[in-house]
Amino acid sequence: MELYITGTGIVSGAGNSGDDNFLKEAPSYNTDKLLCIEPDYKAYIPPMQLRRMSKAVRIGIGASKMCMEAAGIEKPGAISVGTAMGCLADTEVFLGKMIAQDEQMLTPTAFIQSTHNTVSGQIALLAGCYGHNLTYVQRGHSFEHAVINTQLYLADNPHQQMLVGGIDELTDGSLEALKIAGINRKENSTPADVLNGNTHGAVAGEGAAFFIMTDAKPATPAVCIKDVYAFTEKDTAAAAQKLTNYINSQSLNLDVVILGQSGDEKSNAFYLSLCSGVFANTSQYAFKHLCGEYATSSAFALGMLTNTIAKGEALPSHCALGNEAGVLKNVLIVNHYMHYYSCFVLQIV
Amino acid sequence: MKQAAYIVNTGIITAIGNDTAACLDALLHSRTGVGKAEYLKTHWSEELPVAEVKASNEALAALATVDAKWPRTAILSAIAVKEAIQPVADKLHGLKVGFFSATTVGGMDLTENVYKAFKEDSSQVDFDNIKNHECGAITELVANHFGINDFVTTISTACSSSANSIMMAAQMIGNGMLDVAIAGGADSLSRFTLNGFNTLMILDKQFCQPFDNNRRGLNLGEGAGYLLLMSEKAMQQCGATATCIVSGYANANDAYHQTASSPDGTGNKRAMGNALKVANLQPADINYINLHGTGTANNDSSEGKAIEVLFDGKVPAASSTKAYTGHTLGAAAGVEAVFSVLSIRHGLVYPNLRWQTQMEDVSFKPATELQQGVAINHVLSNSFGFGGNCSSLVFSKC
Repeated sequence: MELYITGTGIVSGAGNSGDDNFLKEAPSYNTDKLLCIEPDYKAYIPPMQLRRMSKAVRIGIGASKMCMEAAGIEKPGAISVGTAMGCLADTEVFLGKMIAQDEQMLTPTAFIQSTHNTVSGQIALLAGCYGHNLTYVQRGHSFEHAVINTQLYLADNPHQQMLVGGIDELTDGSLEALKIAGINRKENSTPADVLNGNTHGAVAGEGAAFFIMTDAKPATPAVCIKDVYAFTEKDTAAAAQKLTNYINSQSLNLDVVILGQSGDEKSNAFYLSLCSGVFANTSQYAFKHLCGEYATSSAFALGMLTNTIAKGEALPSHCALGNEAGVLKNVLIVNHYMHYYSCFVLQIV
Repeated sequence: MKQAAYIVNTGIITAIGNDTAACLDALLHSRTGVGKAEYLKTHWSEELPVAEVKASNEALAALATVDAKWPRTAILSAIAVKEAIQPVADKLHGLKVGFFSATTVGGMDLTENVYKAFKEDSSQVDFDNIKNHECGAITELVANHFGINDFVTTISTACSSSANSIMMAAQMIGNGMLDVAIAGGADSLSRFTLNGFNTLMILDKQFCQPFDNNRRGLNLGEGAGYLLLMSEKAMQQCGATATCIVSGYANANDAYHQTASSPDGTGNKRAMGNALKVANLQPADINYINLHGTGTANNDSSEGKAIEVLFDGKVPAASSTKAYTGHTLGAAAGVEAVFSVLSIRHGLVYPNLRWQTQMEDVSFKPATELQQGVAINHVLSNSFGFGGNCSSLVFSKC
């Protein structure tokens, strides 16, 4: 089923979508992690509640409020969220105290906010949304499955506005683990390393990107999700072949592909083979030099596009890997995280 | 028109048994699984009873023929999936197979043992204890073990998690995206969850008494429960038969409090009502309700009131099975889906164990005696959780 995106909200390492200058300038850093540059939440979250919120909840609520504001709605009909790691900071707070205090004299706040569905639950609570509410936690497909769930839900319950998001926060503990796992890079990276490097692991990231999705075509230009193709594959060459077969089966007249190129040597093999193959004649863009590498970063890529279209702009020049696109009509987002692959087939309508 | 999602088989492991037959036997003989923690090493083992699967990770891993270094949740999951898939395991060629799991603790049972050392000096810790911490990693381990890769997902909506995985599986079989699905969930005990629930002061220091006026809280449990779902086409290919289908499902949010239910069960009512609508049934059609019935003051009151309103005072036979299995959190709806299927298959209403005193704010009485040979055509199963997540499933005889 086709989904139309009518609102976008992003909080990321590259800033937030509420800022007029969002993504206007090329990023500049030399770091191992791109942490969220958080907005002033005054307009979105009551201060009393803000004080009690962990970063995951803050960025999630902030992005969802921006997104609903952009779509001109007060509350969605249903909520679908993807988060690979959930509310890590609160998990670690409770875990740390539990161990340090030998399971005694503990207080519930961090535990209450540590559950994976805290963000979707808090959004429902703040908006008074009694509708369907799901949280997916499938590693590099968490956001993709939240979108597939949106297709399933709207097929059964048409004409609703559904809030859909991808969110993950980075903690010191998770960064350490992700570095050992080889997903994130131990050394610092610059934007050039992400775009052109061939390193072991990629710069770490985090962020929240939320969308209002609906099954009815809106009056103003919008991004339509025609299809979501998600698969797992251990071998990068086999993954590139699978994706090529899929693209060839879709007879797409592609203008732009947005790639999850991260500078990681294992990922590079996958992207390079596509860029010289099925995408040889397509304008290529990157996004991970903005948000870093994390499990739900495809949500950021989608948000970068939908935010661009909503503002009637072109994709940022600093994201172009070669020639910039003349036309922005048929777009693919292709992402790889560990051995989780996804492809969003998009059309601007 | 949606295709039916037929329930071909079940797989389960809980404190009352390592498979479907053993759990059924315990239900028929009112045997509880609640007791003292032996394998979970916790400060609270003398004070807080739990419904623990009485076997070490090594012994359990041998049952499932998986690596004993996996998180306990993954081992429990593999045992139940193995049972569920067994009758058709070699007949699935050419069919699209999905695995829909659910968990709330993921690999926490291993992480919590090494977290302190990891924070002090990560190089001193065997990374195998950390690498499967994510909820999705649990599902990935099990899916890879059984070679399932057409669609693999994990849902984490607290205590309602596995109701949602069964819902999504039924939807994807319903619209032809998959032919076969294993759907349910798994959760092991962990110090993290035991202490978390303890800080909320909702754990019973005695054996829990769901829907009793003098109830004091819940006992945590562990386990896994899965349904093997198939389209008609897949059943034909595998020569399989089914006694019931997933006929209704709904998910709603209570939007009241992060960890408490609204007094009148707003979300509960919506979930139950919408699940009946999807099943195209009236409340009077339901023969048995498998209650969420955790034993906390708040849940049983909200759930009971919501049921009274929805059923307009004419409440069918209803019981909570959590006095047997404890509250298995992300596995609970999977475990109780298996019990619901057994209720239909064998015409059973399970007694609500340890019930003594009528609740003051709810007028119906749960079933307290085992009923056998009852015509059970439709079962409603409830699962409500933190974050306001409320889900209900309807299972119907076919």
